[in-house]
Amino acid sequence: MRSRRTSRAMGVAAVALLALSACAANTGTETPEETAEGEGTGGNIRIAEVNAFSSFNASSSEGNVDINGVIAYSTHSGFNYIDNDLEVVENEDFGSMEVLSEDPLSVRYTVNEGVNWSDGEPVDGGDLLLQWAIESGYFNDAVTDDAGEVTSGTTYFDYAGDTTGLALTELPEIGDDGRSITLNYSVPFADYQVAFGLMNEGGLDTPAHVLADKGGLTDEDALIELIRTEPAGDPENPVERPELKAVADFWNTGFDTKSLPDDPTLFLSNGPFIASAVTPDQSMTLTRNPDYDWGPMPKVDEITVRYIGEAPAQVQALQNGEVDIIAPQASADTAEQLEALEGVTVVRGNELSYDHLDLNFSGVFAEESVREAFMKTVPRQQLVDSIIKKLNPDAEPVDSQLFLQDQEPYEESAANNGSEAYAEVDIEGAKELLDGATPEVRIMYNRDNPNRLNSYTLIAESASQAGFKVVDGGLGASDWSAALGNGTYDAAVFGWISSGVGVSNVPQIFKSGNGSNFNGFSSSEADELMEELVVETDPDAQNDLQVQIDKLIWDSKYGLPLYQVPGMNAHSDNVSGVEYMPNLTGVWWNFWDWQIAQ
Amino acid sequence: MVTYIVRRLVTAVLILFGASFVVYQLTALSGDPLEDLRASNAPNREQLIQARTELLDLNTPAPLRYFGWLAGAAKCLVPFAATCDLGSSIQGEAVTTSLLRAMGNTITLVTTATVLAIIIGISLGIITALRQYSGLDYGVTFMSFLFFSLPIFWLAVLLKEFGAIGFNNFLADPQIPGSTIVVVAIASGLIWALFAGASWKRKAVAFVLGAAAAAVLLTVLELADWFSDPGLGPIVILVTGVGIAFGIVLLTAGLRNRRALYASLVMVALGLVAYYVVNPILNAATVWMILAFAVLTVLVGIGVGYALGGYDRGQSMRAAALTGLLMGLLIVVDRFMVTWPAYVGNPRVRGRPIATVGAETPGLEGTFWITGLDTFTHLLLPTIALLLASLASYSRYSRASMLEIMNMDFIRTARAKGLSERTVVMRHAFRNALIPLATLVAFDIGALIGGAIITEQVFAFSGMGQLFVQALQRTDPDPIMGFFLVAGILALVFNLVADIAYSFLDPRVRVKA
Repeated sequence: MRSRRTSRAMGVAAVALLALSACAANTGTETPEETAEGEGTGGNIRIAEVNAFSSFNASSSEGNVDINGVIAYSTHSGFNYIDNDLEVVENEDFGSMEVLSEDPLSVRYTVNEGVNWSDGEPVDGGDLLLQWAIESGYFNDAVTDDAGEVTSGTTYFDYAGDTTGLALTELPEIGDDGRSITLNYSVPFADYQVAFGLMNEGGLDTPAHVLADKGGLTDEDALIELIRTEPAGDPENPVERPELKAVADFWNTGFDTKSLPDDPTLFLSNGPFIASAVTPDQSMTLTRNPDYDWGPMPKVDEITVRYIGEAPAQVQALQNGEVDIIAPQASADTAEQLEALEGVTVVRGNELSYDHLDLNFSGVFAEESVREAFMKTVPRQQLVDSIIKKLNPDAEPVDSQLFLQDQEPYEESAANNGSEAYAEVDIEGAKELLDGATPEVRIMYNRDNPNRLNSYTLIAESASQAGFKVVDGGLGASDWSAALGNGTYDAAVFGWISSGVGVSNVPQIFKSGNGSNFNGFSSSEADELMEELVVETDPDAQNDLQVQIDKLIWDSKYGLPLYQVPGMNAHSDNVSGVEYMPNLTGVWWNFWDWQIAQ
Repeated sequence: MVTYIVRRLVTAVLILFGASFVVYQLTALSGDPLEDLRASNAPNREQLIQARTELLDLNTPAPLRYFGWLAGAAKCLVPFAATCDLGSSIQGEAVTTSLLRAMGNTITLVTTATVLAIIIGISLGIITALRQYSGLDYGVTFMSFLFFSLPIFWLAVLLKEFGAIGFNNFLADPQIPGSTIVVVAIASGLIWALFAGASWKRKAVAFVLGAAAAAVLLTVLELADWFSDPGLGPIVILVTGVGIAFGIVLLTAGLRNRRALYASLVMVALGLVAYYVVNPILNAATVWMILAFAVLTVLVGIGVGYALGGYDRGQSMRAAALTGLLMGLLIVVDRFMVTWPAYVGNPRVRGRPIATVGAETPGLEGTFWITGLDTFTHLLLPTIALLLASLASYSRYSRASMLEIMNMDFIRTARAKGLSERTVVMRHAFRNALIPLATLVAFDIGALIGGAIITEQVFAFSGMGQLFVQALQRTDPDPIMGFFLVAGILALVFNLVADIAYSFLDPRVRVKA
């Protein structure tokens, strides 16, 4: 009885409240707006990024930041892209890339008719020529001394990518259709497929008509004329080129901005999306480019990028439905938090960076048997189990110096290069090789990186069992990389990043005397094979050569690759089509497949 | 006095020189800007290293590089020349631009929290001082020290978990479970009991009343579906307004001053009329319109107070103006509440209003009320985090200061000459207790622009703290120097302001020039 009375009283109170709201003032908000702004057919997907956008030119050294790269990737088109099997996929809707002859290597790039910048101007031969001029370093005539100071001449376009490939080509001619250029290489270039117009590197991202205008030239034809008539840069006889310098200076810094410029020509798109709103250091909105039909069609109408630096903040934003996709820095805590969430899918995989142990070919390790003995003591499986497994349960030690597990030839190379000898720790074998000697080994690593510190600890412990006297040569984050190759240590644990596609990295690390060859590895046989490799254009032949080089490296007791760094992204179950991608394009690689699940 | 100020300013400039040199060197030593490139296996490694060396001028030793920066910064001293050059970040943005933006963001983030911390902290301090060694005193002391010692990043994560994610889940289906009502009722009862007087009987009554009020309120609000469709409505505004009028008059003039009370009540009535008249105009509201209404309200209040005031018009005018302002606040709050369903239902908000990161919902467009709510939902959690952490210092300082004053001879004199307790506390004690706090407040306002590094990080808020941290991570000296310049100058200036203000407020302290 009583409870009925109380509930009746409450009902009366509720009715009274309702009555009160009935006599409320006219606020004009009685009918909630039904209009769904920004909500077309495909909807809106929100993704969290760690860094904040800073430039519409991701190819200059100032703009070369991951976030600028993915914005360039989603707002520009190109001749091909890399998929998550690390295969090159041609984008024939955009244009064609035709090998006219294998030797001498000659490739023709043609943009299809109807491919336009978002201001209506066609993407044409002038754009191709300008892109080539930027990426080939054709005009550069700067000379630098040992300290890195420019002593004479000028570097025009401050291009952050590698110019060595296109530097092999001569000044190209624009084809008669006005939409093509032909690149003629002086020697065959192994990575020619990804040397020009690769979407992962921004595709065709500089509109020539805009740069001509901003650089103080009358029109695009004047820029074409300038590129064609100015002589190639010659460091011996540097020449002043004020007109070109003005153009290059604008390219270097003119597209840097944290907000949306008032001048729409500064962020022209020729890809699926176009930037529509930017809040500096907070967020960026990309909306569908209405003209775009030359390549993979995105399923969503709008992508909102929000910058959230901290991994836990990204996880909570995902949990709170403020973002749909996150790609935080992988860590055990983050993995645990994400696993605990409902309605969230975690996608794991390997990144293309890997840690490795390099032994110097000098000092205590000058003797091959000592190197071999040390390699036998390295507990690679234990490293993977204790450092990586909690992030990526499928992780295994890397068994190749040239290929990573995501690359197709990995299995073949790993089976062939003799890596199985180091699959298990062999203390006895190491002792035998040392024959009672107790060499002192100083290992250098980045002490501020917990994974490297763990690696060092486990390696040192195991090596000392075989009689090595291990000295901790770890340095702080600000010092360790400067110490690389300076001879103050005997072994180093650090990381490389593989490009996944292409072979230019191989000689950079392993060729005698090259820039990133820190441990003094030198094999005339391998050098010859690498010389062959960089001019080999057939992918299968490239793989054969690399398998041979891999074996030579292992046979020389170079050191050991340890593990691939795990990566992780997560998305809400409202979104489908998100797939893991090991390379730097990351989760964005197939943004056109993202869609709102119904 | 003038010589004193000049001397202080000259010292300040010298300190800035020295400190900026030290900070520059420390920044340059804090890391290796080439770390990632040195260990790179990119084929163009040398070229990248060279480009960055040139960009950051790394071949010049840091002590010399400092003077390059100083030469640019010195140009900022030329008035109106717009030649200020504080350098640029590694990514090519001018430091002056990023500083302005970061300062704006920080000010929006920290101002509310600081103002609230000052008001609430001082009130708590005064009340606990008046009730020294009571349950209330111990309770407040315990809570403020608890929040003071909680790490703010952890507090922030908890706030996000319960205040945002949990509350949004609740909003999706606003059903309050019985257990929650019981817990809230008990908590409310305890708070009421703490504030209630000394005797156990009064405490018990207050507990029961407080618990019952909370339980009934929650149940009624739930039944009326108030959480998804909130609002105050004219009756609540009227009742609250009358309460406010009595409260204001009690504090400012005393209830025996009938004229002040009538003036305030007239303002409540006028406020209720305004609620009907002004609301349709508010559809096109802007910040300036609201401010204009606030000024108008104050003027009307003063007018009403003057007309009804009798011989002590000042008191009536103050009370009426304050009551009017608070009535206006109620109308604005009501308006925001009425807009709430439209905000929550917006496709950009997707039914989850309380945010955990950032300062705004990207792409959200709407009236002043929608964007205002958006700012509110984004600033709510960081403000609470900052507020809780800084309550302790204000409440402790003001409690100590109030206790000291209450034991002074002039308070005894005031009581002895028969002044009411209200007059003794509000006029004689409270004002004097605020003097030492002037120093604290001046410091805090100076530190305000420096940003809240951890809070900004956790809530992904791009203010001064983020500017500093991110530049430090990249070993990018120019933004750090910009940050230091602003923070350092403000610290020195407000230090000076605090000293001068103190000597003005307290005649016993005079500067020996």
